[in-house]
Amino acid sequence: MYYRRTLTDAQINDELLGTVMTTPLRWVVIASFLAVILMGTFSAVGFMINQGLGVTGLRQPVFWGFFITNFVFWVGISHAGVMISAILRLSQAEWRRPMVRAAETMTVFSLMCSLSMPLIHAGRPWRIFYWVFPYDWARGIWPDVRSPLIWDPTAIITYLLSSSLFVYTALIPDLAIIRDRSTGWRRPVYGALALGWHGNPRQWKLQGLAGILLSALILPVFVSVHSIVSWDFGVSLVPSWHVTVFAPYFVIGAVHSGVCAVVTLMIVMRKLYKLENFIWEEHIDALARLLIVVATGWMFFFWLDLIYALWLREEQELTVWMLRMFEPPWSWMFLVFFMCSYVIPVPLWMFRRVRRSFTMMLWTSLLVNVGMFLERFIIIVPALMRKGPMTFDYATYRFSPIEFTVLGGSIALVAFLLLMFSKFFPLIPLWEEKEGQVLADSVRVGKLDVPGIVKEH
Amino acid sequence: MATQAKPSTDTNHGTIGHKWAMVIDLDRCTGCQACVIACQSENNVRFNEESAFHEGRVMQWIRVERYWEHVPTGKQVRDDRLAEFPNVKARFIPILCQHCDNAPCEPVCPVFATYHNNEGLNVQVYNRCVGTRYCGNNCPYHARSFNYWEPVWPESLQNQLNPDVTVRTRGVMEKCSFCIQRIRRATRGGGEVEDGAFDPACVQSCPTGAMTFGNINNDKSRVAELAKSERHFRVMEGLGTSPSVIYLKKVDGTHA
Amino acid sequence: MHNGEEEIPVIPTHQEVAADVMGRYQELGRRYWGWVTVLASLFLLGIVGFVIRLADGFDDRSNWGYHVATISFLVSTFMAMPIISAGLRLAKANWRRSFTRVTENMAVASLLIVLMVIPALAALPPLEGRMNIWFEFPLGAPNLWNMMSFGTLALIGISLLWTLALPDLAAARDHLPPSRRQRIVRWMAMGWVGHVRQWRVLYMGSLIMGAFYMLLYPLIQTLMISDFHAGLLPAWKDAILPATQVVASLQAAAGMTLVVMYVMRRVAGYDRYFTVEQFWSLAKPLLSFSLLWFYFWWASFITFWYGRQPGESSLIQFLILDSWRGPMMVSFFLNFLGPLIALVWNPVRRSIWGPALVGAGIVVGALINQIRLYVAAFSVADPTQHVLDPIPAGQWPGPPDVLIVVGAISGCLLLFMLVSKLIPVISIWEIGEGLRLVKVRKFYGRYLRVIAKSH
Repeated sequence: MYYRRTLTDAQINDELLGTVMTTPLRWVVIASFLAVILMGTFSAVGFMINQGLGVTGLRQPVFWGFFITNFVFWVGISHAGVMISAILRLSQAEWRRPMVRAAETMTVFSLMCSLSMPLIHAGRPWRIFYWVFPYDWARGIWPDVRSPLIWDPTAIITYLLSSSLFVYTALIPDLAIIRDRSTGWRRPVYGALALGWHGNPRQWKLQGLAGILLSALILPVFVSVHSIVSWDFGVSLVPSWHVTVFAPYFVIGAVHSGVCAVVTLMIVMRKLYKLENFIWEEHIDALARLLIVVATGWMFFFWLDLIYALWLREEQELTVWMLRMFEPPWSWMFLVFFMCSYVIPVPLWMFRRVRRSFTMMLWTSLLVNVGMFLERFIIIVPALMRKGPMTFDYATYRFSPIEFTVLGGSIALVAFLLLMFSKFFPLIPLWEEKEGQVLADSVRVGKLDVPGIVKEH
Repeated sequence: MATQAKPSTDTNHGTIGHKWAMVIDLDRCTGCQACVIACQSENNVRFNEESAFHEGRVMQWIRVERYWEHVPTGKQVRDDRLAEFPNVKARFIPILCQHCDNAPCEPVCPVFATYHNNEGLNVQVYNRCVGTRYCGNNCPYHARSFNYWEPVWPESLQNQLNPDVTVRTRGVMEKCSFCIQRIRRATRGGGEVEDGAFDPACVQSCPTGAMTFGNINNDKSRVAELAKSERHFRVMEGLGTSPSVIYLKKVDGTHA
Repeated sequence: MHNGEEEIPVIPTHQEVAADVMGRYQELGRRYWGWVTVLASLFLLGIVGFVIRLADGFDDRSNWGYHVATISFLVSTFMAMPIISAGLRLAKANWRRSFTRVTENMAVASLLIVLMVIPALAALPPLEGRMNIWFEFPLGAPNLWNMMSFGTLALIGISLLWTLALPDLAAARDHLPPSRRQRIVRWMAMGWVGHVRQWRVLYMGSLIMGAFYMLLYPLIQTLMISDFHAGLLPAWKDAILPATQVVASLQAAAGMTLVVMYVMRRVAGYDRYFTVEQFWSLAKPLLSFSLLWFYFWWASFITFWYGRQPGESSLIQFLILDSWRGPMMVSFFLNFLGPLIALVWNPVRRSIWGPALVGAGIVVGALINQIRLYVAAFSVADPTQHVLDPIPAGQWPGPPDVLIVVGAISGCLLLFMLVSKLIPVISIWEIGEGLRLVKVRKFYGRYLRVIAKSH
C-alpha cells in the first residue's frame, strides 16, 4: 500500500542535499575509478583517430559495427527520461516523483555519449563539424538534408537541448535552496543559476506551466529522435534493414531499455546515497508493471519484423535471418538477447515479490540492457555481413579491443557524468517530493484508508 | 530527389551530351584480372597484401567475383570442397561501380561527397568525404572501398603514381570513377568525343576485348550497339538502381 | 461532476445514481423503439445490398472490396471500443466510469462482424503464388484461423461484457416487474448477490479477459491486414501495417466513443453522465492517437518513398500518391491535421462539442481510410505479379456498396440498442465504486476533490 512516510521539509532538504553539501569518501573512490577508465578510453580513441579505423574490426562490407550499435544503444537509453518525466507528469502519476530528475539527467548524458559515437567512428572526425554546420559558405554547398545522417544530429541535438532545458527548469527551485544554504564562492554561482527564485505564487505558477509545456512539447521530439535513428537503417536498401516497422520498434525498444536503465540507476542511487526514505518498493513496482506493458508491445513489433521479413520469401532476407538465428556464434547471441530482453524478465515481473525486491529488479533490469545491446548488434551487423546476393563478398565481423574499450568507456562516461552531477545538484527533486506530500491525502472506504491525491479537475 | 515514376532503364536520364556507359561481355571474360591491375596503376589504388584479403580491407575499384557453379544443376556451389571438376566450373563477373542513374549511395551522404554529374557519372569528391560510410552500406554492388589505413607506397614505386589522380588519405571512401581523368582529358576541347577515342584503364587493358566503354547517347557507338544485344542484362535490376554498366550473358552450351 | 472555486462540488450518492439509471432503463419507450425501427430498416437495406453482391458471386473480387472495408471499419470502431475501457480500467482513470458500459455493450456488434467475415473469406483468391503469412503451413489457412480468431475475440468481448454487467443485471432483476424481460435478465444475472467471492471472481475475470482482449486484438488486425490487403498486393512488404491499423483503430474507437456519448447526451438526455470531464479527458488520448496515426503512416511512407524500389514505388503511387490520392488526403486531414489543429486549442479540447466534432471527423476518416486500403487491394486483378503493373485506378462505390456500408453500421448500432434493453447502458456499480473513492475537501481555500487510487 502507498502509505506515505511523511517527512518534514527540513528532513527532505537535509537528506537530499547531503551529497551536494558534503563529499562522501565513496564518491571520491568511485569517481577516481571511473576517471581512470575514462582516461583509458580517451587514449584508445585517440590512438584510433591517429592510426585510422583499421584498428577496429570494421571491414568490407561491414562498414558499421560496434560504434553504431553503441550509438543506437545510448540513444535508446536516453528515452527513459522523457517517458518518465513527461508522460508520467502529463498523466499525473504520483510515483514518478523521485525518478524524474535522475531519468532526465541520464537522458542528457546518454545523448551526449551517443553523439560522440558517430563522431569518433567517422573516417575523418576532424572534418565532421562541417557536417552539421553549413560547409563552405563561400561555395554554397550545404549539408545534404536528404541524408538520414543529417536528420540524426538535428533530432538528437534538438532532444539534447530540450532535455537540458527540462532539467534546468525543474532544477531552479532546488538551486535556490542550495543558494540559500551555501557560502563562499558557491553562493553567487548558485544564485546566478537560480535566476532569482524566491518561491512566490507567480513563480510557482510559471514553474507549473513550464513543466506542462515542456512535457507536451518534448513528446514529439522523443518519438522522432529514435525513429530518425531507425531510419538510418530503414531507408537504406540493405535487406532486413529496409523494413517499415523499424521506427516504432526502435522507439519502444528504447523505452524498454531506457526504463530498465532508470530502474538500475534508482536502485544504485538508493544504495549509494542511502535514499531509502525516498525510493520505495512502490516505485520499482510501478516501473516493473509499466515495463511489462512496454516489453509486450516491443515483442509485438519484434514478431511483426520477423514475420514480414520472411513474408516475401526473399532469399537475401532469409539468409540474414538464418545467420541471426541458426549460425553460431550469432545464434547464441540471438538466444541470449531473446531470453534477456523478454523471456526471463517479463514472467518474473509478473510476480509481486519480484517487483518489490530491489535485488531482483536490479538484476533483471541489467539483464534487459544486456539483451537490448545484443539486439541492436544483431540487427546491424549480420545484415551487413550477408548484404545482398553477392555471396563472394560475404564476411564475418569480429570486434576489436578498441571497440570493446569504447563500449566500457561509454558506460563509464555516463556514470561519471551522473556522479559529477550529483555532486553539484540533488538527484531527487526536493520540491517534487514536498509537492507530493502536500497533495497526499486519503479516503476512508469502509475500514480502510485508501491513499489518494488532491486533484484540480 | 528522384521522380516517382518507375525508374527507366533507358539511358539519356537527365544527361547533357555524353552519357558514359560500359558493356562487359561475360562470354569473353576469362577472369584474368588485368583490369584490376590496370585500374590500380591508373588510379593510385593502394597495394593489397595478403593480410588485406584476410582482414577484408582490400582496396579494389574493380574486382572479379568468382562463383562456382555445379554444372549438372546450374546451382551455385558455396563450398568448393563439395564439388570437383568436371562437375564444377568457375563463373566470373567483374564488378565495379555501376554508376547508377538512381544511385542509392547518393542521397545518403551527409556532405554531398558523392553526387551524380550531368554526364551520368556517379562522382566521388574525396576532399569532402568525412567517412561516415553510409554510401558503402547502401551500395548493393559492394562497389565502394574505404581507406581504413593511410595508404603507403614503397619509395621505389612512388614515381609510378599517376599525377592526374588524387592520392586519397585515410578515412575517405573511394570507388571507380570510369577514369574520370581520362574523360576530362578527352572532353576538354568541348564537343562530342569520337567513339573509341579513349577508354578507361580496365577497358584498355582487357586482353579479350570483353569490356567496351563509350557514350551511350550516341546511337552509333559500340556501347549503344552492344547494349541492344539479346544477351544484355543489368545486375540486380529489380532494385531500381538503373546501372550504367550493362553485362552480356555468357553463352553456355550446357543449359540455357 | 464539476468543481469551481465558488461552489462546493456535490458528489451524488450511489443510491441516487442507481435510481436514475434504473429509471431510464425501465422506461424505454417510444423514442427507443423509433430508433430501433430506423436502424432495423437501414440494416435491412444493407442486407439487400449484400444480396445484390452475393448474386454476382465471388468471381470478381472487386465487388467485395467495400464489404471487406466495412468489416475493417467495424473492427476498428466497435470491436475496439472495449479496449478503451479495459485500458482505462488498467490505468485506473476515474473518469472512465460513466462510459465503460457503453463501450463494452458495443462488443455485441462482433456477432454481425463475424458473420460478415464469412463471405469476405470466400472472396479471397487461393494462397498459391502470392505472399501470405501462412508460409509453409497453410493448413486451414486463411479461413479456419481467421474465423477462429474473430470468433474468439467476439466470444471474449461478449464474456467480458456479460461479466462486468453482472451486478447491474442483478439490480435490474430486482427492480423490474415480473415480465419476459425480467426473466431473461434474471437468467443473465446468474445468481449474483454481491458476495465477496463473487466480486473477486468478477475482478479477476475482467482483468484476465480484458488483458486477453487487448492481446488478441492486434492479432486480429494482423491477420486481417495481411490476408485481405497486403497479401493481395504484389511486393507489399509493409511490416508496420498491423501496428498502423491498431493505432488507427484505437483512434477510431475513441472517436466513436465520443460520438456515441454526444448523441446519447443530446438525444437521450444523459448529460449528467457524459460531462466535460469525459470529453476533455478522452480528447487528450485522442490527440496522442492522431499524432501516432501520422507517425505510423509516415514511417511506412518514408521507407518506401526513399528507397525508390520499383515494386514499392508503384504501390505508393497506387495507394497514396495517385489512384487513391483523394481518399488519402481526406483521411490525412480528418485523422491527423484536423484533430491536431483543433485539439491543440484549449477551448476546443476543454469542451463537449470540440472533442465530439473531432471524433466524428475521425470516424468518417477511418471509414475512408479503410476503404482506401481494402477496396484498393481487392481491385488488383492479379496478386501473383512481382510488381504492380498496371496500376489500377480508384474505385467509387456502387449503390449496393453504399447500402452495405450503411446497413452494417446500422446493424451494429441496432445490436447495441437491443442489448441495452437488457444490460443497463450506464455501469451503476462502477460509478458507485468510483464514488466511494472520492471525497471533497478544502485545499488552500478552494474546494477540491481527493481521488483515491486503490492498489
